Amino acid sequence: MEYTVWNIAPIFLAPVLAFVINAFFGRKLPRNGDWLSTLSIFISFIFSARIFGDFVFGKFATDYFIHKTFTWFDLSYGANIWKVDMGIFIDNMTAIMLLMVSGVAFLIHLFSTWYMDHDEKHGRFFTFLPLFTSAMLGMVLSDNLFSLFIFWEIMGFCSYSLIGIYVKKEKAGDASLKAFMTTRVGDVFLLLGIVAIWMALGSVTYVDIYAAIAEGKFAGQSVIGISLATFAALCIFLGAMGKSAQFPLHVWLPDAMMGPTPGSALIHAATMVTAGVWISLRMYPLMVLGDITWFIAVIGAITAFGAATIAMVQTDIKAVLAYSTLSQLGYMMIGVGVGSYNAAFMHVITHAVFKACLFLSAGSVIHSVHEQEMPKLGGLRKYLPYTHFAMMCCTLAIAGIPFFSGFVSKDRILGDALFYGFMSGQNPLLAIVPILGFAGAGLTAFYMFRMMFLTFYGENKQHHDDHGHGHGHGDHAHGHDIHHEHLDARQNVPLLILAVFTLGFWFAGNLTGQDGIAVFGKKNEWFKILVEAPKVEKFVNSPRQPWSSVDSKPEAHLEHAHYHHQTGYAGPNPDEHKLHSAHVIGAILSIIIAFSGVLIAFLMYIKKSIKPLASKFPGFTTTLQNKYYFDNFYIDVLIKKGLLAFNRGLAWFDMGIYDRFAVDGWAWVNRQLYRASKWFDNVVVDAIGVDGTGVAVNLFNLVLRIVQSGKIQFYFIMLVMVLASYIWTLKV
Amino acid sequence: MMSLASYLIISLVLFIVGLTVMIARKNIVAILLGIELVLNAAALNFVAYSKYVTNNLDGHVFSLFIIVIAAAEAAVGLAIVIRFFQIKETIHIDEATQLRN
Repeated sequence: MEYTVWNIAPIFLAPVLAFVINAFFGRKLPRNGDWLSTLSIFISFIFSARIFGDFVFGKFATDYFIHKTFTWFDLSYGANIWKVDMGIFIDNMTAIMLLMVSGVAFLIHLFSTWYMDHDEKHGRFFTFLPLFTSAMLGMVLSDNLFSLFIFWEIMGFCSYSLIGIYVKKEKAGDASLKAFMTTRVGDVFLLLGIVAIWMALGSVTYVDIYAAIAEGKFAGQSVIGISLATFAALCIFLGAMGKSAQFPLHVWLPDAMMGPTPGSALIHAATMVTAGVWISLRMYPLMVLGDITWFIAVIGAITAFGAATIAMVQTDIKAVLAYSTLSQLGYMMIGVGVGSYNAAFMHVITHAVFKACLFLSAGSVIHSVHEQEMPKLGGLRKYLPYTHFAMMCCTLAIAGIPFFSGFVSKDRILGDALFYGFMSGQNPLLAIVPILGFAGAGLTAFYMFRMMFLTFYGENKQHHDDHGHGHGHGDHAHGHDIHHEHLDARQNVPLLILAVFTLGFWFAGNLTGQDGIAVFGKKNEWFKILVEAPKVEKFVNSPRQPWSSVDSKPEAHLEHAHYHHQTGYAGPNPDEHKLHSAHVIGAILSIIIAFSGVLIAFLMYIKKSIKPLASKFPGFTTTLQNKYYFDNFYIDVLIKKGLLAFNRGLAWFDMGIYDRFAVDGWAWVNRQLYRASKWFDNVVVDAIGVDGTGVAVNLFNLVLRIVQSGKIQFYFIMLVMVLASYIWTLKV
Repeated sequence: MMSLASYLIISLVLFIVGLTVMIARKNIVAILLGIELVLNAAALNFVAYSKYVTNNLDGHVFSLFIIVIAAAEAAVGLAIVIRFFQIKETIHIDEATQLRN
């Protein structure tokens, strides 16, 4: 079967259909239509899997891509071309991303049918969940920045709706507003970047942008004094920062956990936050051209390290995971910045799998125990063995333990960062990127295992509360679920499937992920072979298929062709030998760091032979607990001092200047005009004009009345006098 | 010696007398008589000018017309006076104020 619109478009149209049906008829359907949403995502998954199969198992068709366009609207007149194309662009990255998004989203939907059962917001949740997924799928399929922006904003709206789904909780409403407003800051810049590219090229299609870069069309153009490429790249990256929660726009993501846990899983793993990384990867040639990759790397490093430090002191299980997401997104951005293109994308995929699994596991814990504060948890290993198993796999993955997926992707990023920071001859200050990256990796291992140990090991505090003291009836109800594991397939199957995919060999042919230590042979490095930074020259004059065209399957002639010169590193100065040694050093270093992080956590929370450092540095701990005072800074300084002061200034201008002088002044002018016109009316028109005419007529009438006496002899006299006067005038 | 001036003087006297009668007398019949005097003064003027200035019969013809008109006017005037008397039982001119309305 070939590719037409009809077997691509259902990927994002099926969930949209589910959204529409659930939005209007969800209440009338059995179970509020959650099966329909889940089914629609499954349909997406089937179609995505077909594309994935053709692109990935289709013998490594690295250069093949499908690009179908149609003209959305055409306002051209004369020589002025003013038309906007929409279209679908599928290459290897799209195929992988589609499978990841639809697969993870399907498992999250499946889990949600268990998690949200009997929840009052069940129907609404299953209305927005498929829309959210479809927006992400549509964004991945987009062939241009404009439709990407549309789906981008739909995702923003869906995240707003899902975070604030418990509308009666004030914190949920605040958190959803915060997420919406914070990402909006980035979106404004993204739109600005898109407009800049549009102004320069007259098109925002990826292919056109790549071709323009290859042809050097960006050269010499500038906006507000900086080069157009830098401006556009920076604006687009600022948009990505908002969506992917990079420092300093990261504040919304930790609060986004106010929504239901599966919703957080979707936001943190498959959709939303990866959108920013996605656009950074798609626009990577522009970022290189604009020379802002160092900025991306630094922002990523700050986010990766800063969020990891905050995660160490969080007590809420979901807050730890939220900050770990921030930290991992920082790693992805480091990957983009240091030119580790394919590892950054691989980290998107591996992170999506293990973070979805972590959030679903946390949801499993919360739903079973009705408690999410880690100091009140403990010893759950016996009660939730499947959850414990899945969460442990994911924790090993995120901590960067060998043989798990996180190790493969993160250590490639860190190896490239090491090369970038120390060996590639960059500015020596950029050594901060690998330093913060490795430090963050150690902290990641520590705080993730801290979370595991506090939640699943030690003694069960809930259990003791229930039976030891015999509290009130409410306490019994509080912990009643803990005595047996839920054996609901909808709860455990998604966790276990995701846990299986946290293993490293799915993503890399060799288990360690390093080139030099290949185990299964290089051919199995499918990820590395398939994903590479866009080669812009390839897209010059690239033909576009019309919307109704039929594409054949990817051809198979590229089987081994590309592996030899394919390192996965797209950054500056690719020095193979140094790069290789950087990777080996990086791998060894990060294994040591990860294990020491795990060891410290073990000694602190299992053996209890080391006291938690929190008691030794109370000041720093308080700083961390307050998240470096970023929220306070934004609210107290930026909003209260800055925005509100600015608003007060505007209000003063409005009331004091505009209202007082313009509005009231105009009223005064009008009053004076009214007075003048009243005087004119009363005196000139009424008194002189109307009454004056009357008086004049009256006077004339008086004369006439005297003359018109009716006495004939008087008339004779008049006649004689007229005659006499006539004669008199004649004589004169 | 009869000259044009003596005719004009007599005509003027007749005219003034007639006018005075018209204005000063309150009897309607007397006023009608005054009108006759004025008309005659005019007719006398015509004849006098005809004799001394143009020396033809035009003035005489006009005089005859004026006499005819005067007769007709007297007939109409007397008829009005009679009708007036039937209504008002008097021929005092100050009672005749209907023209005012």
